[in-house]
Amino acid sequence: MTREVLSGNHAQSHAVRLARAQVISAYPITPQTTIVEKLAEFVATGALEAQLIEVESEHSALQAVVSASALGARTYTATSSQGLLLMHELLHWAAGLRAPIVMGVVNRAVAPPWNIGADHTDTMSQRDTGWIQFYPESNQEVLDTVLVAYRLAETAEVRLPVMVSEDAFYLSHTVEPVDVPEPEIVDRFLPPRTGHAILVPGTVGRLGSFTGPDRYVEFRRELARASAQVPRVLPEVEEEYRRLTGRSHGGALPTYRAEGADAVLVTMGTMTTTARTVVDELRAAGQRVGLAKLRLFRPFPDTELRRLAATVDRLGVVDRSYTFGASGAAATEVQAALYRGPHRPLVAGFLAGVGGRDVTPAHIRRMFAELLGPADPEPRWADLAPLEVDVHG
Amino acid sequence: MIEIRFHGRGGQGAVLASELLAQAAFLDGRSPQSFPFFGVERRGAPVTAYARVDDRPIGVRTSIVTPDVVVVLEPGLLRTTSVGDGLRTGGLLLVNSPLPPARLEAPDGVRRASVDATAIALAHGLGSRTMPIVNTTILGALARVTGVVSLEALGRAIDRYVPAAPAENRAAATDGFASVRLGDPAAPSANGAARIPFAVTVPIPEGPLARLPSSSIRTGSWRTLVPEIDERRCTRCNFCWKYCPDDAIELDGRGYPVLVLDACKGCGICAEVCPPHTIAMVAASEGP
Repeated sequence: MTREVLSGNHAQSHAVRLARAQVISAYPITPQTTIVEKLAEFVATGALEAQLIEVESEHSALQAVVSASALGARTYTATSSQGLLLMHELLHWAAGLRAPIVMGVVNRAVAPPWNIGADHTDTMSQRDTGWIQFYPESNQEVLDTVLVAYRLAETAEVRLPVMVSEDAFYLSHTVEPVDVPEPEIVDRFLPPRTGHAILVPGTVGRLGSFTGPDRYVEFRRELARASAQVPRVLPEVEEEYRRLTGRSHGGALPTYRAEGADAVLVTMGTMTTTARTVVDELRAAGQRVGLAKLRLFRPFPDTELRRLAATVDRLGVVDRSYTFGASGAAATEVQAALYRGPHRPLVAGFLAGVGGRDVTPAHIRRMFAELLGPADPEPRWADLAPLEVDVHG
Repeated sequence: MIEIRFHGRGGQGAVLASELLAQAAFLDGRSPQSFPFFGVERRGAPVTAYARVDDRPIGVRTSIVTPDVVVVLEPGLLRTTSVGDGLRTGGLLLVNSPLPPARLEAPDGVRRASVDATAIALAHGLGSRTMPIVNTTILGALARVTGVVSLEALGRAIDRYVPAAPAENRAAATDGFASVRLGDPAAPSANGAARIPFAVTVPIPEGPLARLPSSSIRTGSWRTLVPEIDERRCTRCNFCWKYCPDDAIELDGRGYPVLVLDACKGCGICAEVCPPHTIAMVAASEGP
């Protein structure tokens, strides 16, 4: 193991090198570009033996890795924001073809207006495509999650593509110390991909055949079953990773000081780090508050949430994106998961950090204060600028 | 924890400066975090980068709004950017400037330091006169006046992570370390109220439907080069006026081009398209 100061993007590139991805295709977009630039360097210097396919768009990039994955290759692509939106059609194809692709997505705001800051609208808009979605909070977690993602994606009962997200700039361009495991360790965790190639060279086969109503339903049901395997498989894979590297990131919904808490804030991505510091500060001041990190958004961790709901009366859920007509996607999903369960705490939705706005300790403190105040489940914008701006000029 | 904010221009190395600081702090056995903020990804546009150094992992992921130290790589930014915003009392302002520290304006109670990083960088052949690469020089100065990293670790970080001319960059850092001048804190103003040191106009936030002319966006602060128009050879073809992406060229009553300095970012497109080559790009410090 070596310890290096790496950006989140380069942590992702190193993980792909260690995973020995065989086919990589991507189209540049800020703030993703440095992931694939680093991979191109690895390929050029011989540190990674992979085929790097240059393409004219994100749509083609995903098509290239879908095809390579169908032939049994271990594949990787990465994108961000508008690039992910352009991939949308093929996201459904990748999941439907059961292609175990791993994709790095740097979460960036969607235009208009143009903005390159952190925002989850891009990946939240893809939550119904069948992809598994992770939202790490540190560069170490990015590296480890990419490796775990390959094992999870290639597990026979799962065989689904995985997105490993990074908050733009707060991870993608932030450098901090990261432990990079030795290749021999990763090789033991992640042997070459075997079996389940849809296409075999020299043998007749087709992608994209027609299926009528007589079979289509069962096909979609199979996909749902595969996704439902994740809550069982993920802890097993993470446990094996922990045995080899000493690190685990706590499954789908790791909690922090949530025991005996009066209020727990559910966060995603980098705001979790800041919120953890605030929890320590408020606990030291005698307030009983805690944290739960929604690390896995797809499939949604219903069971873990119901377990948490049994112990706390008030949950705040912070969304870094707005789902028009319905407020925050995470808050809505938490409410839906708990409505079907026996414990139904108050769930308050907060929207914060949209378009790269800082989610500061002061914002987190205010969210906890509101959560502990008069019960109010109405979703609210937690960090609107004091000045209202007429966006139509 | 120490929080440091860097102000520079795109292409000048502010982002690498902040990353190098993190690498050096790590080599010193400390726990760093650094990231840049890009407003507009263009050469010459103001760029901000943040660095935190502590003895334990950093527990916050936000930009730095109340820095202990502000480092200014380009003295021209003092006129156009609120570099002193949020600087803590007892904090430090380090500027690339030939001026003595006492002549730098700073918020009350802030210590001032200066280093002529441009001269040092050019003496070591780093960058050009219009775009000197001053990041390693100013890091040497920063190491001296804050002690946040050792010069030895900085040298090792430069060797490992500076892509070109590591020996020259190391020498520049050593010179920066040796020649930085640290002055007294800025005196409190008479009534004790904090002075706002640099009057800066905040641009109007624009929505997706821009109704403001491009020239109203004051990109003049990005300029390191400026067009110089030789009217005697101008044929009044108006190509410069037509091609300028920022409406930074207006036509006078006779049809000759006139520069709008607030809007000209010094991109040089006018000089490129001028058929009789009557426009020369000159250093902004020497131009109009």
